[in-house]
Amino acid sequence: MRKGSRVSSNIIMTLVIVWLLIPLLATIIYSLFEDWTGIIPHGFTLANYQKIFTDTAFLTSMYQTLIVCVIPIVITILVVLLGLFVVTVYFPRLEKYMQILCMIPYTIQGVILSVSILILYAKGSTILSGRMTMLIGAYCIIILPHIYNGIRNGMRAVNMNMLLEAAEMLGESKLKAFFKVIVPNILTGITVSSLLAVGLLFGDYVIIRNLSSSNVNNMQKFLYQAMKRSSAEASAVFVVIMLITFAITAIVLTLQSRSTLEKIRNEGK
Amino acid sequence: MAYIRFEKINKFFGSNHVLKDIDLDVEKGQLVTLLGPSGCGKSTLLRCLAGLEQVTDGHIYLDGQEITDVVPRRRGIGMVFQQYSLFPNMSVRDNVAYGLKLKKLPKAEISQKVEQMLEIVGLSEKISQYPAQLSGGQQQRVALARAMVTAPKVLLLDEPLSAIDALLRKNLQIEIRRIQQQLGITTIFVTHDQDEAMVMSDMIHLFHDGRIEQSGTPEEIYTRPATKFAATFIGNYNLPSAADFNRVFHADIPGQDVAVRPEIITLSREAPKAEEGLLVAEGRIPSHISHGNLIRFAVEFDGGLTMNADVVYENKLDFGEGDRVFASLKKDLVIGL
Repeated sequence: MRKGSRVSSNIIMTLVIVWLLIPLLATIIYSLFEDWTGIIPHGFTLANYQKIFTDTAFLTSMYQTLIVCVIPIVITILVVLLGLFVVTVYFPRLEKYMQILCMIPYTIQGVILSVSILILYAKGSTILSGRMTMLIGAYCIIILPHIYNGIRNGMRAVNMNMLLEAAEMLGESKLKAFFKVIVPNILTGITVSSLLAVGLLFGDYVIIRNLSSSNVNNMQKFLYQAMKRSSAEASAVFVVIMLITFAITAIVLTLQSRSTLEKIRNEGK
Repeated sequence: MAYIRFEKINKFFGSNHVLKDIDLDVEKGQLVTLLGPSGCGKSTLLRCLAGLEQVTDGHIYLDGQEITDVVPRRRGIGMVFQQYSLFPNMSVRDNVAYGLKLKKLPKAEISQKVEQMLEIVGLSEKISQYPAQLSGGQQQRVALARAMVTAPKVLLLDEPLSAIDALLRKNLQIEIRRIQQQLGITTIFVTHDQDEAMVMSDMIHLFHDGRIEQSGTPEEIYTRPATKFAATFIGNYNLPSAADFNRVFHADIPGQDVAVRPEIITLSREAPKAEEGLLVAEGRIPSHISHGNLIRFAVEFDGGLTMNADVVYENKLDFGEGDRVFASLKKDLVIGL
């Protein structure tokens, strides 16, 4: 009976996995063959990949995706780190307000956020009205809760106030001690949350479409344009995006399991 | 002027008056213990000396200089905390070298000092390991090495042994005392454990409710408690009311209460020979507790007065429950409070 139920659950699991993977596999196959009108595709070709990787627009979109991902993440990490340092060390009572503030973006839809930003800033002539500034600002807001949670959880795992006091007694200033002693200990948390943020920004289409001018194209925008040209080429773009996302997920999972292993090892001591 | 002087220290946390008019002197080279129950203000006073807390009122002097408003990193004070406070991302070597690097000493000198200090605390072979690879006792010894290697003017130990198991704790008490004497470093030790205070200290300051209840050498504090609180906290004093005690033992001890150490009471089956200054009363043994090396007999006297008497355990119980015994003690060892 038990064996039978295990077999049936395995069958169900396999069916679900196949069901989920079919579209991905179909897209990969579609991008690798010239013709797929019958049951069996024929005419294997890498032309679609060759085409997109020689297309400067695609390479530019990859490069621009990287830029609009990295800058907001670096800014947000710095702001959250310094904010949490000041709040934890000098104003612990404000911590709950900081947490609420940082969680608010979870509830904001991309469309609402981008339209609100446009209404608020687009008409002005300050630096805040620049398309790039608005885009980076919007991305900072989107990833804030993820970065905040990653860093805060890392800080909870180390006894921050005591380590800072210990460093202070050895002759260090609090801020320097924070960067020399606390930050290296929460580096895994920072890395994991940054990679999650990269994944999030990588998949954005709504915000960049609304906020950026036509000369800023991320990979999602390129994908949308490719779909209009040729579905086989669009499939190739999709496969590249998917592989990059898989790679990011793999790195996140490896880092997370490594930090879990470390924790287990430390607790075991 | 004393090496460390606290002058009229007051400290409030909100409306909570934690330290009340503390005056305290510490001489150079001594190991002084601040002893008291949790919440009595002993750790707060230590943190005020470290600069990790600001005093509300009063002055602190160290080596002739006022340091009341000096930031912690400029006070030249080393500290070991209750919990393990080693930097987890650094090896034992880097942890111990941290303070020396901040002093910008040459690399060779840092390396030599670190190795020397680790040898003193007996952890030379752990130099390349990380804190997570060490036991609790080893971590505290590294913390001690890290605090001492910079040759601070004062070493502060804030209950550093409270998270360590009993046997290791006893060894570390002796070890810390040995290292402190070897280096001649002025040390202030905070603990709530009276045995620990007895073993380690040159001087004990007993804290109670934000004030110093009594100061003295371990022997003075143990044998001559000045107040009922001191007698309750130190040792295992019997604390009957003076009226009850005087009635049972036909004595005339002045004061409200009397303090009698259980080990000064002698029990015997026969009435001891009468002599000058010997107080004797007859009672019954309702129960006893074994402490391994000694047996603590409860003795119930007429009128319900019960006192404990300690007898060194040799190889058999001298008295059983229900036995009638004579309890005798020297009058001059009885303390009126």
